[in-house]
Amino acid sequence: MQFPYPRKTSQPPAYQPSRASTFQRRRTLRNLAPYIAGILTLILLFVYFLRPSTPTTTRAPPGTPPVVLVTTLDAKQSEHYKANIIENRKDYASRHGYSTFFPNTTDYDLMSGVPSSWSTVPAMRHALTLYPHTPWIFYLTSTALIMNPSQPLDLKVLDPRKLESLMIVDRPVVPPDSVIKTFSHLKGERIDFILTQDKEGLAGGSLLLRNGEWAKFFLDAWYDPLYRSYNFQKAEGHALEHIVQWHGTVLSKLALVPQRVLNGYTKEVAGSEEGRYQEGDFVANFHGCARDPKRNCEMEMKPLMVRWQELRDGEGRR
Amino acid sequence: MNIGSSPFDETEEEDYYEQQQQHMSLDRSPSPRLSGGWSSPGLTTPHDGAANLSRGPSPSKRPNGTPRDVTWASAKAASARVNGYPSYTSQNQGFFSRHMRKVSEALPYFAHGGQEDRLREKEKLGRGRAGPGGSGRGLRVGDMARRVALLLNRRRRYAALLMLAIVGILLWFSTPIKYLYRRTSFLGGGSKFVIILGANQGGGVMEWKGAREWAIERDSVKNKKRYANEWGYELEIVDMATKKRYAHEWRESWEKVDVIRNSMRKYPNAEWFWWLDLNTFIMEPSYSLQSHIFSNLQATTYRDINLYNPLHIQHPPNGTSGDPNAPKFANYLDPIALSATGDSDPNSINLLVPQDCGGFNLGSFFVKRGEWTDRLLDVWWDPVFYEQKHMEWEHKEQDALEYIYTNQPWVRPHVAFVPQRKINAFPHGACGDDRGVPEGGCGGLDISGKEPKGGKEKECGVQGIHYQEKERDFLVNMAGCEWGRDCWGEMYNFRELSMKLNRNLWEKFKDWWDGEDEEDVKKKKEGEKKEGKKE
Repeated sequence: MQFPYPRKTSQPPAYQPSRASTFQRRRTLRNLAPYIAGILTLILLFVYFLRPSTPTTTRAPPGTPPVVLVTTLDAKQSEHYKANIIENRKDYASRHGYSTFFPNTTDYDLMSGVPSSWSTVPAMRHALTLYPHTPWIFYLTSTALIMNPSQPLDLKVLDPRKLESLMIVDRPVVPPDSVIKTFSHLKGERIDFILTQDKEGLAGGSLLLRNGEWAKFFLDAWYDPLYRSYNFQKAEGHALEHIVQWHGTVLSKLALVPQRVLNGYTKEVAGSEEGRYQEGDFVANFHGCARDPKRNCEMEMKPLMVRWQELRDGEGRR
Repeated sequence: MNIGSSPFDETEEEDYYEQQQQHMSLDRSPSPRLSGGWSSPGLTTPHDGAANLSRGPSPSKRPNGTPRDVTWASAKAASARVNGYPSYTSQNQGFFSRHMRKVSEALPYFAHGGQEDRLREKEKLGRGRAGPGGSGRGLRVGDMARRVALLLNRRRRYAALLMLAIVGILLWFSTPIKYLYRRTSFLGGGSKFVIILGANQGGGVMEWKGAREWAIERDSVKNKKRYANEWGYELEIVDMATKKRYAHEWRESWEKVDVIRNSMRKYPNAEWFWWLDLNTFIMEPSYSLQSHIFSNLQATTYRDINLYNPLHIQHPPNGTSGDPNAPKFANYLDPIALSATGDSDPNSINLLVPQDCGGFNLGSFFVKRGEWTDRLLDVWWDPVFYEQKHMEWEHKEQDALEYIYTNQPWVRPHVAFVPQRKINAFPHGACGDDRGVPEGGCGGLDISGKEPKGGKEKECGVQGIHYQEKERDFLVNMAGCEWGRDCWGEMYNFRELSMKLNRNLWEKFKDWWDGEDEEDVKKKKEGEKKEGKKE
């Protein structure tokens, strides 16, 4: 038979893997190179344009106190009284590694005719400057005593979960009938300002403020000359209520906690039992004793001061 | 194939001559005529046509049945030439011809010039193969495309097609593609900017608008629309008609804050919000905001208010009554608030305002979305401030901002200033007279605070206020034109000037053709200016 093509041989040659020669490989490489380069460039471009902005967090230097206690001292008060107050604060601070800061009410340049109680605001701003890495400022008025220093503020209220459990939500900011109510869906982490409420409104005698841009904004806005000159009846207290009610960026950072957590009153002005100081509470506040000329803070405070000293000394003996 | 006498490789010289001679000697066959057939006298017979027809299905018969004057003899000769024993050597031999062939292959039409006739003849004889030559004589588009296609191998062809398609698409959609590119946040970044234009100011129930007011509004809106389209920015035109909501309220004409806040809600991905009053005109639409300001905030803006301080705001602030005998902790502020330039990081700039001769000017300013801005917008208006100051604050939110900047130290580290001529140049007559620029121009708007070129008497540096045509300033704000000046006249003149300055080449050529040389234009413009002044 004749076949147009040579027939296949019966003994095929042994199978050889079709390995490309180096030349061929190089050629395929050379052909693919532009594509690969192009894709790589694209990826790099994307990475370049979509890279997240570099976070600028500054690490707190070691030894930074977690909280600074601020109490403004009135020049009119007796030295003995002032020493007692300072001792009371320092005792608490030393137990938990906190710092203290005691400016005088006359240290700051309030405008003429402005009540000296306004100095609490620049005092806090000053503390922010002195302790730029400290996360929290604890302001306590000079008419209050820390009666139960055992618990750190962290456990008491600063922990976000704890704070969320304590937070009073949907409550009129100024009782009883303010239309502005505290927000009901706030995360503990996002709270920058913790304080309590008494029967008349916000109780500024004991408050916690988180250091940061917001704190600066809040204190500067609070301390605005036009508020100082406005003659609010209760000076900085009313100014605070005003900005909390009129400015949402303040209200959204604020958390109200039950009064006795931070600010139990020894003598409730409006006659409520809820915020009344009881033995074992954190703070006893002799609210209004400095403002009311008929009252004497030092005299009023004496029994509890003695009681606090007893407790402290008893602890040391044990 | 036509062998030219062009110079060629020396080593091949001899070969070539040999070949050439060979060629010459053998190529003695009768030369073909253009009309077909052969020039040899004895071969043509008068019966050619009949013979051709009588031989049944003639190979030379075309499908359409038109016989051509191809004789049997000529066909045979041609056939012999192609199929017979090669009477001459292949043209493909030798270095020169080989390479010429390669070169000529790239030229689709002339590639087979020498063989053209042969192939044509062949087809006529019915032996038509799908040869590369095709049957046509002369240049035909389809023919050429096919030749090109054949010359390319398949992969190259696909690549070429793809390239062609891409280029075509790019050309066809060049405008929308440019727009898309400029808008995309990570490419051009245009969608990061929102222009807020306060239209219909004081309109609504307060005042009927006349033809001039409508014309101003139309021109201004058109100008902003074009600009936003050119660069892919968002444009938010807000109706500033005095609403009833505000008419009997304290907050009368404080809508700016609310409007900015609403825009921030409406464009959640935008970063910078540019407030523009209605009486503004963008003179140079070819400047993008990015290249003009935002790509290099450090170099285009200044933080230290002491560089240009018409309000004499004390800096650094001490947060006090300004009493020099202030108590010891007077400076209780943090170092950044006390610093004249904040933290000097351009990323911390959240508010960008120009200053005119009387302080901040909010006719054209930028705010950046952020917590800081939320706070500022929040405290900007306060009932206690308003109650004490509304008689004094003639410019309302502008005065309030100046007040807050002066008295609340948290604001300063985030505010930067722009030389006024950069985003808010005034026309002659607003804030005094145009002081002009020194000979040779300012050489850019210097923000270093050094003595500007031309001294304080000229419009250079941070103290520059008035629009300078020579320097091609970006935007004109006809601030205060509604008090004793002619808004529409100014707007019209600036519109015409902007159009003239931004003519394209063709328009310039046309103007030149019309005989309007530079001198004429200048004269005309000056005349307009005078007119504008008169008005």
